[in-house]
Amino acid sequence: MLDAFITLFQIDNLLFLFLGTALGIVVGAIPGLTASMLIALTLPLTFHMDSVNAITLLIGQYVGGISGGLITAILLRMPGTPASIVTTFDGYPMAQNGQPERALALGIMASVVGGIISWLFLAGMSPTLAKFALQFGPWEYFALVMMALVMLASLTQGSLVKGLMAAALGMAFALPGIDNSIGRARLTFDMDALLSGFGLLPVLIGAFAISQILRESAAPIKASTPINLPKKKLPVQFKDLKTFGPNMLRSSVIGTWIGLLPGIGANIAALVSYTTTRQLSRSPEKFGTGHEPGVVAGETANNASIGGALIPLITMGIPGSVTEAILIGALTIHSLQPGPLLFQNAPEVAYGIIAAYLVANIIMLFLMWNAVRYIAAISQVPRAWLLSTILVFCVVGSYAVNNNFTDVWVMIAFGVIGLGLELARVPLGPFVIGFVLSPIAEEQLRGSLMMSDGNVAEILARPYAMSFLFVALLTLLWPLIMGQVARRRHHTRQEPNS
Amino acid sequence: MRLHPAWVDLALVLAVLAGAGLLFVGASTLPPPRFEPMGSAALPRILGGLLVFFALIIAIKAIWQLRGRTDSNVVSDETDDTTSRPSAANSALESDTEESALTGQLRGICVFTCLILYIVALDILQWSFIPVTAAFVTIVGTALSPQRLQALWKFALFGLVLAAGLYLVMTRFLYVDLG
Repeated sequence: MLDAFITLFQIDNLLFLFLGTALGIVVGAIPGLTASMLIALTLPLTFHMDSVNAITLLIGQYVGGISGGLITAILLRMPGTPASIVTTFDGYPMAQNGQPERALALGIMASVVGGIISWLFLAGMSPTLAKFALQFGPWEYFALVMMALVMLASLTQGSLVKGLMAAALGMAFALPGIDNSIGRARLTFDMDALLSGFGLLPVLIGAFAISQILRESAAPIKASTPINLPKKKLPVQFKDLKTFGPNMLRSSVIGTWIGLLPGIGANIAALVSYTTTRQLSRSPEKFGTGHEPGVVAGETANNASIGGALIPLITMGIPGSVTEAILIGALTIHSLQPGPLLFQNAPEVAYGIIAAYLVANIIMLFLMWNAVRYIAAISQVPRAWLLSTILVFCVVGSYAVNNNFTDVWVMIAFGVIGLGLELARVPLGPFVIGFVLSPIAEEQLRGSLMMSDGNVAEILARPYAMSFLFVALLTLLWPLIMGQVARRRHHTRQEPNS
Repeated sequence: MRLHPAWVDLALVLAVLAGAGLLFVGASTLPPPRFEPMGSAALPRILGGLLVFFALIIAIKAIWQLRGRTDSNVVSDETDDTTSRPSAANSALESDTEESALTGQLRGICVFTCLILYIVALDILQWSFIPVTAAFVTIVGTALSPQRLQALWKFALFGLVLAAGLYLVMTRFLYVDLG
């Protein structure tokens, strides 16, 4: 770990981390633009970079992207990212009551503390978990992938069936191309362009960036809301750390553990933490009116969820959200296989991710503390400038993958598919993660069946694999069980009345 | 007029069933497994089956919703004819909203068409990157801007600078040939 910090403090790595965090904060502060979009668009530019440089840049963007959302959430009541929705509940009323500086100061402090506490979990748990994961064979990996996909599809907001269908669709789109096991084309329908399959980057840029830009283009044009830029120094004292200490600790733990679970995300982590803090408060009625603990709870948890989400990513190669799926793509582009072997094959990258996460939080504190006024002003850039520029970047980024336009057309096709799925209220998260995990799931299943001579019952003798499948089944059945319990309670309440 | 979500779901079902059909057709052309138990065609078939299963559930729910909606419309028409009729003010408001939604949709279609034409110009017509990109940014930026004519020259200038900057970075530093 010490070596990772020494490498990170080399001037080039530090510069990329600084640049990534700054870019992330700016993009996170602009409503409508997200960290995942920024990372997907930056990925083609990292092809020629050293793997540690690339990873530090992307981790900085991830941390900055989630943190930056608090600025517009507090000043404009427009969360820059979904993770900051909860911050609007108390942050905006505080700004309206003449305390924008205080709300921003608390939000920034909470974000950093959340990041640091979840870093402790990340640094403490990852090497141990990776060692544990080395015991896994193909059956365990297959079951783990299935568990991640089912949890992601079930826990994503909206219909369960649509979530599962999105995951299956994503997996299906990963099938065309040469099947490495038999060295023969599969589902290419005699089209040479499909022989190498659909590239991860064009799919990601299309499904997230293009579909979002098309949606934004169709939204009504509004004049930008005037922003009250903070004028005074950000007021925070050491005693605030003491006052909000228990709240920040609790919210960090909630955020980290929710981040660990696939598909839930920073916005739910913030909401759960906010609700818990309100329930435990002696004055719950103050929440929503500009109450300081509300800002602290939400901002601590959303930042802490990043550290949690990075744990399954680097220890098992399982993405918990779209941003992690893109980070997996980044590692793959640099010929690195995320998973337990990352700590053995490329320890500089595995520990580099952990170290970069901590330093990115500190850079974020420095940048937000000193430049919050300017970042807030940048977030006012009109949509027309942003969208036209991003469209050019999407085209150039997709083209740069292989220096050919087939990828650009693939990006357009997936942009249309993404837009169609969103119109039909099908979540895009399971779709993209299904696409990323499909080759792993198939490879592991085929490997398992070869090892067991086609005997599927072999999985019954694998306790870890069975536990993963049990959790997947429980996640699927949980809504039904809860529905049944609620119905019973309703009946028992009605019976004494009748 | 806004389309009922159930109709959107039925359109989704048709698209998914077509996709599942493609999976089955593609899988039927693959050879049976020789050296391993599972084979190349298994996953396409499993996913095709799952997609059909999920699509059928969504279709049943959508049809159920549409039937329920028709029944409730009949009941409300029979019981209260006056309350269901929109007032003149309401219908005026509705048409205003519809108009702005339509304008937005047209703007979205315009941006999408420009994007397709931009790629056609670069890929098929092989026009030079800098002028095409500058023109693209000018048109899309102006279409998305509230002050159209005043913004035109600003976007033209910005598009030119952006295109030239990107061209320089991509070709000189990242060795990407932009044509």
